[in-house]
Amino acid sequence: MTNDVLVIGAGLAGLTTAWQASLHGKGVRVIAKGWGATHWHAGCVDVLGYWPMESETPVANPAATLPDLLAANPQHPYALVGLARLAAALDGLQQLCSDAGYPLVGSLDKNWRLPTAVGAARPTCLAPATMIAGNLDDHAPMLLVGFKQLPDFYANVAADNLAQQGIPARHVALDLPALAGRNFTTAVNLARFMQQSDFRAAVVQAVKPHLGEAARVGFPAVLGLEEATAVHQDLQAQLGRPVFEIPGLPPSVAGMRLHRILKSAIEKNGGRVYDGMEAIGFAADGGRVTAVYTETSGRPRQHRYDRVVLATGGILGGGIVTNHAGEVGEVVFNLPLRHPENRLEWFRRDFLDKQGHPIYRSGVSVNENFQPMNGRVVYQNLFAAGNTLAGFEAIRERSFDGVALATGFVVGNLVGN
Amino acid sequence: MTNNIWEAQLDITPSDHKPVELTLDHCIKCNICVTACPVTAVTDLFPGPKYVGPQAGRFRHQGQPSPDHSVDYCNGCRVCNMVCPTGVKIAEINGRARAHIVQSGQVPLRRKLRNNLIARPELMGKVGQPLAPIANVLLHSGFGRFFAKLLLDIAPNAPLPRFSGERFSRWARKRPDAVRSARKVVYFHGCSTEYFEARVGKAAVQVLEANGFEVIVPPQNCCGLPLLSNGEFAAAQAYHESNIHHLIDYVKQGCVIVGTSTSCTLTLKEEAPEMLAYHTPDAQLLTANTFDIHEFLVHLLDAGELKTDGLKPMPLTLAYHPPCQYRAHRLGRPSTEIMALIPELTIIESQAACCGVGGTYGYKAEKYDITMAVGKSLFDFVQEVNGPIAVCDSETCRWNIAAVTGVPFVHPIELLAAAYGYEPEGPLAEVMK
Repeated sequence: MTNDVLVIGAGLAGLTTAWQASLHGKGVRVIAKGWGATHWHAGCVDVLGYWPMESETPVANPAATLPDLLAANPQHPYALVGLARLAAALDGLQQLCSDAGYPLVGSLDKNWRLPTAVGAARPTCLAPATMIAGNLDDHAPMLLVGFKQLPDFYANVAADNLAQQGIPARHVALDLPALAGRNFTTAVNLARFMQQSDFRAAVVQAVKPHLGEAARVGFPAVLGLEEATAVHQDLQAQLGRPVFEIPGLPPSVAGMRLHRILKSAIEKNGGRVYDGMEAIGFAADGGRVTAVYTETSGRPRQHRYDRVVLATGGILGGGIVTNHAGEVGEVVFNLPLRHPENRLEWFRRDFLDKQGHPIYRSGVSVNENFQPMNGRVVYQNLFAAGNTLAGFEAIRERSFDGVALATGFVVGNLVGN
Repeated sequence: MTNNIWEAQLDITPSDHKPVELTLDHCIKCNICVTACPVTAVTDLFPGPKYVGPQAGRFRHQGQPSPDHSVDYCNGCRVCNMVCPTGVKIAEINGRARAHIVQSGQVPLRRKLRNNLIARPELMGKVGQPLAPIANVLLHSGFGRFFAKLLLDIAPNAPLPRFSGERFSRWARKRPDAVRSARKVVYFHGCSTEYFEARVGKAAVQVLEANGFEVIVPPQNCCGLPLLSNGEFAAAQAYHESNIHHLIDYVKQGCVIVGTSTSCTLTLKEEAPEMLAYHTPDAQLLTANTFDIHEFLVHLLDAGELKTDGLKPMPLTLAYHPPCQYRAHRLGRPSTEIMALIPELTIIESQAACCGVGGTYGYKAEKYDITMAVGKSLFDFVQEVNGPIAVCDSETCRWNIAAVTGVPFVHPIELLAAAYGYEPEGPLAEVMK
């Protein structure tokens, strides 16, 4: 395998970049300090949830709303990607997941409104088939199932909130003998249990007396890891009605499924994904990055690759750091960043301000080829993707996954060609 | 001439030595470590790295009672460290918490005796190896195992190795045909090669000599990892200091230390200094100059100095488990990169987090079932690949997986030595007949 493409970061953007580049037959290595954004997000692809940001009404049709966004913010990563390539990225991921037996359902023309763990409606573009029956545009009554030993999901809170919004919802908290000896369990452990048929049988037996009028049954997103589709279908068959998952607190079981599918695709094409490898420095010569160095147990290891992609994330992901002096820095290449000049301008007054906080728009400025810029291209063979990019408010827009996927897709094809 | 082939890399400042416990402040409670922990996945006795490490760490204080009931079930695989997005040294936090329990006398006497015995492979080797024929029969008899369980709570089915007929260092000393060269490396054989698997050390010497190095085998001790894993820090530090004493002059003369036992090299580099908070200038110098053998070979390869011509084809398809202690070096997969040079050799890499044995962990009766459950997917994988042998860098993992699957294991360096044309010994010799 040749040293063609080095991707720094293994969130959705980094993995998508590596997957696309590996499809072109390139020798790809992904290095990551640890696991990241895929384990934190809901396992859906949010493209655009709110626009304008202060709007109380979620975006119903991202394809129809995106032109307004791009007109208002020509610096937005979506403007660099363009709508056609955004659609292609969504199609590509849907195809990959479908081939892996874990379909993602949806299209750019319509946002789903799916329940959150507290029973609010969240707009999202693509969601796994395991979540779709939670659709809140459908008013069919639902039963929400929690587990007494899972403190990350309170079915009563979600059900009460949904009922207040006009969705008939009831709840039950199961106390299964298989979990009785535990003070608590985690979503991942429950997902592993769910892959055992006798555990599922016990769940079904405990849920059935509570079904009543319920036309659908919601669970926290714990319906299996690699066998999610089979677990979901089996529960639907046994309960005789649609079943859906509600994503909750990290670590996200649904996000882990996407992580696994993308990593397998990269490895199938001969690429490598390494965790525990923190990029701590680089060498450059003649306007090119000649090597990236990672921390090891003894001394830095050198990675010499033809092209390098920065996908370390933003402030949340650790790719951009700030300090008390008001400095904002990029962690690997110390790239020039766009950010509020004055620390007093970092935040707005309200924590949940509809406009978001200006500091979260900080990031790397790139040209149309996703090369970091400082008036001119900083390094000829360096590219950036995902939430390390400047100029958008992922949290308020609900565009985190969409930007990661679309920019990763485009950059992966750029460096793969 | 020096051996500083990696010189170009030294202008990068390595990250600072943060005290292990201070890293817990970086924990953002995301629970990613819990999703990756192979022990949590199979037993309720270990609630997960986050809870036992950084979370419980806030309740630990010198002079106060230990809040720990579950930290001893950490098997030290370090998968949590590898996946942590914020750099918390979880496994080391756990190791130091265990040491606190041991130091404060909270381990029952029988277990303390057992732990101190199985954590001293050097002592066992010095006593057992000269009596190899008798010791092997005794240790592998139902009778011996019965009493080991009865007296010391050692798991009756745990994978005990066999003492070899000759100590590796003796073989190395009396070789008339040893290569002399201006390019010298020091070989750290570790207890497993010295007392149980001399063939691994022979292969390492052959490969290094074939690349023009003179191989020095100075007196050395156990790296101390088994003692670190059992919380016996004072004894571990004595070993580490002794190793520094034996090795540091060679380093100062420009030699590097190369080892085949991947957990030993990790201990010399990182685990001993971090766990013991032992960061003397000599300890740091040793860290900076110790290499896992395949890490060293990849440096040679990158510099265009590795012998890659005339390698003998090896038409085999073999399962390879990169052990957790090897991945914990954070080097990627140097062994895979080197094995890829051997013509016609197909390596299928395992995705398993850990084989479960955790050095001495799987030898303890109360933990043996956990070891088997952790390793299950790996055992199944090795049997599915169904090669005549399988490959792994770490000795206790090799012994564990081989004992369960019945597939004999070799160290990857044995494959390269054979590809260089040296006569293999042990399981590889059988396959290449």
